Amino acid sequence: MPPGRPGLAALARAFLRLGALAFGGLGAALALFQRDLADGRGWVSQRDIGEALAFVKPLPGSTMLQVAVFLGGRLRGGPGALIAGLAFIAPAAALMTAAAALAVSLPDAPWARGAVGGIQVAVAGLLASAMWRLARSEAGGRVLTLVLAAACALGFFLPAALIVIGAGAAGAAGRGGRGADG
Amino acid sequence: MVELALRFLLVGALAFGGGQAALPLVERITVAETGWLSSRDFATGVGLANATPGPVLILAAYVGYRVAGLAGALTATLAVFAVPVLLSALSVRLVGRWRGSARLEAFGRYAGAAAVGLLGVTLAALARPVWDLHPALLLLSAAVLLAERRGASPVLLLAAAALAGAAWGAVLG
Repeated sequence: MPPGRPGLAALARAFLRLGALAFGGLGAALALFQRDLADGRGWVSQRDIGEALAFVKPLPGSTMLQVAVFLGGRLRGGPGALIAGLAFIAPAAALMTAAAALAVSLPDAPWARGAVGGIQVAVAGLLASAMWRLARSEAGGRVLTLVLAAACALGFFLPAALIVIGAGAAGAAGRGGRGADG
Repeated sequence: MVELALRFLLVGALAFGGGQAALPLVERITVAETGWLSSRDFATGVGLANATPGPVLILAAYVGYRVAGLAGALTATLAVFAVPVLLSALSVRLVGRWRGSARLEAFGRYAGAAAVGLLGVTLAALARPVWDLHPALLLLSAAVLLAERRGASPVLLLAAAALAGAAWGAVLG
């Protein structure tokens, strides 16, 4: 559990900032959350982020927003969840509306295509880094490492929701009666 | 306006596998079924949605604005994220209530490991276009991985990569 519980205003400011910086999709956003909320502010642990990912991954919708909402809820309950969600989405919504209003379109130029390629290169690296960090915190012990590897392999053939819920159900069925394991 | 709200509520409720996975559904709804946008405008919207921070489904704000102005942008944005946010808030409550239950803890641990494993599938999907550009570029991805692990900010790394790519494209393109 987090050591310090932030106030709602601090929570809103933090997620507003994250929402403005979360370029590059889920992998980059996870790296950003780990850096800012866990390492920087110490509000949540790497495990909390892994847990958030586990519970929102099977749900429909934007995963990075749902991780933000889950962490907001973990920190400050229902109001925290709502505020984290609204704050996280506000910068993108404002930018997107402005772009639509100005009828902005992205130039189809070599430099623009190059920039997109550069971002793709970086995003792959950032996701690998986020995955590495989460694997260290989530997959303690041989069984969980096996679950992680199996999910990765099966993920190429089966729907993600099925795999996450299936793994969770197997864990609950097998270990429910006992205490800590690993 | 009501149709805008209902259609984007549905997109949010059906977006299994995250926002990127729902883009074809948004295309069906906004281009093919309603004719709200031309396919060129839709492509522009997707490009902008990827260029802005945050979830890619913010595309809804773009579509909403084109259909019904500022009110449309607000309506579509709230609609597309309503169900996912509600479900996520609900799941954190349920998890909180059952905290201490050995079964739920086990569920969370196993589901968590599986969710992290599934990031590998996403990673493969992201590495594929990089490989197609040039396989050696994956070495640069690995360099980004190392730089981030050594403390470089993800946002700065993304900016640097975009600039380097733009310079490369401008010189060779």
